[in-house]
Amino acid sequence: MVSGSLVAQQVVNGLLFGGQLALIAVGLTLIWGVARVLNFAHGALFMIGGYVGFFGLQWTGNLVVAIVLATVVVFVVGWLIESVFVEPLRGREEFDIASMVITLGLAIFVENTLLVGLGSQRRTFPQLLDAVWNVGGITISAQRLLIFLISVTALGALFAVIFYTKLGLAVRAVSQDSDTALLMGVRPERVYAFTFGGSAALAGLAGVLLAPLYTIYPSVGWSPFLLAFIVVMVGGLGSVRGTLVAALALAVIRSITTIWVASETAMVVLFVIMVAVLVVAPDGIGGWLEA
Amino acid sequence: MNGDSLRVTLGRVGRRLREDAKTRNGKLFLAGATLSLLAPAILTSYALEIFMQLFIVVLLVGSWIFIAGYFGIFTFAHAALYGVGAYAAVLLAGELGVPPLLTIFVGGLAAVVFCLPIAYPVLRLQGAYVGMVTLAYAEIIYRGTIIFRDVTGGPTGYSGFPALFGGDRLVMYYFVLVTVAAFMLLQYGLLVNRFGLVARAIRESEDAAQMLGNNVSRYKLTGFVIGSGIAGIAGALQAYTILIMSPPVLELTQMIEIMAMGIIGGPRTLGGAVFGGLAVFGLAEVLRGLGEIRLIIWGAMLVIVTLYFPDGIAESTLNLKSRLKELVDR
Repeated sequence: MVSGSLVAQQVVNGLLFGGQLALIAVGLTLIWGVARVLNFAHGALFMIGGYVGFFGLQWTGNLVVAIVLATVVVFVVGWLIESVFVEPLRGREEFDIASMVITLGLAIFVENTLLVGLGSQRRTFPQLLDAVWNVGGITISAQRLLIFLISVTALGALFAVIFYTKLGLAVRAVSQDSDTALLMGVRPERVYAFTFGGSAALAGLAGVLLAPLYTIYPSVGWSPFLLAFIVVMVGGLGSVRGTLVAALALAVIRSITTIWVASETAMVVLFVIMVAVLVVAPDGIGGWLEA
Repeated sequence: MNGDSLRVTLGRVGRRLREDAKTRNGKLFLAGATLSLLAPAILTSYALEIFMQLFIVVLLVGSWIFIAGYFGIFTFAHAALYGVGAYAAVLLAGELGVPPLLTIFVGGLAAVVFCLPIAYPVLRLQGAYVGMVTLAYAEIIYRGTIIFRDVTGGPTGYSGFPALFGGDRLVMYYFVLVTVAAFMLLQYGLLVNRFGLVARAIRESEDAAQMLGNNVSRYKLTGFVIGSGIAGIAGALQAYTILIMSPPVLELTQMIEIMAMGIIGGPRTLGGAVFGGLAVFGLAEVLRGLGEIRLIIWGAMLVIVTLYFPDGIAESTLNLKSRLKELVDR
């Protein structure tokens, strides 16, 4: 019999993990919702964030500067990916597949270039905070709580931009109907580039924030990418609200399942949930939440 | 299908074969086939092994193009089903003593059985969603081979199975060549007939194809099942060629490799499998010493081909003048 406190502990762990997951997954869902790109390079952007943070910390010695630097650099990388590689594909009949393939190609290219250039060794990133608290029998690592809080803040900032600024209005307009938005004087290609940059910046921020937990190596992005991918599918591609709920729910499910089974099997459980959701409701739970 | 319609079908295949043999690609394929038949007289045994793997890769990529290029079902489960075919074949031969030759076709059947659970969402969904659901399914199968390590031998692989033809590699070579050619011809035969026309109609517009009175779901299901079954057969052949079977064969990287070959070779035509196989697999063999550099090249090739040669090598001409004009016009 599993004790209640173990389950409580796993629920707390799951919720904290859910915050991290949401940070990665929201970027993925955002760029699909606005620009219809399933970005297979999202994991690579996460990885780039980790490397930029690592070298930024080496050069400046300041953790905050390193985190900001990683976010900004990956924002620029995302902007470039959209305007150089994805924009020329727009207008093709199979744009969703072509953009999927090209981002996959970029991910493989970048990952292996770094592998050759910097080697496959895992670089360790210093812990952000060392403290561990014990609240009513449940241990909470201060670092994970901090990451959770930064994630929530970053997502809150994103929501604020999307719902309360003119830029956000343009983003929402383009995501609904890019032709009409163009008639209203919005340039869709700029909005796409900005959204891709913003989505990438979230991945980059996640990459540097999670570097103390994941370490940094060229293929580090695939596992968070696959997790975020499941979250986005379950939440409903393009639905930010659904993605948030799905991130928390799946993270909790994952940590509770690992009480009984290996993490490999827990992943299978998540994939099965994803397939089941896609069969029942291809638009994910976001469709119900927004209805 | 009665005798008459079969005769008409076969007649059309023959006619199309004669027509296609006159094109640039047709001539290249004929030359390649002749060379492959004569290869054992010229090449070293190591080179023969490479050739065998190349043939299998062509069949595998061809069956992916059959599904993804003709029907527009962009499946990511292909590598996993290829692995299922391989595991089914070698486990049956190694554990239950089924004759190896028979297990190759059982491998195909196993892939068919394993593609059925995902068939329903694949028929219902479209575009990128198909990619996602099949990717998830592929990951489930891949992780399954690790979880059930008692059966599959886990990460170290499984190698306790008998060789085909008592280990005679020359017979094996011709067997692989003939099997691959037969299944490529089967797919070709289907694609030049009504089946292929409907497939392309489905790719262009599923609703329009349905409106014209075609049972779209049945065609898609048939295409998905045939393509997946052939992937299973390719997997079984591969396992007997390399004599060991391990989970990386059905990992995501393998799928990316298949996709890269299909897209670079030409996703719109079965012949793209030959070009893609040669370009990617051939290059990988030539650059074997370079390790990760070849992955860099593949990544770059995927990007460049998607941007500038959406129809792949098979359907691009090397007419520089017209290419330059196109680039300027963009």
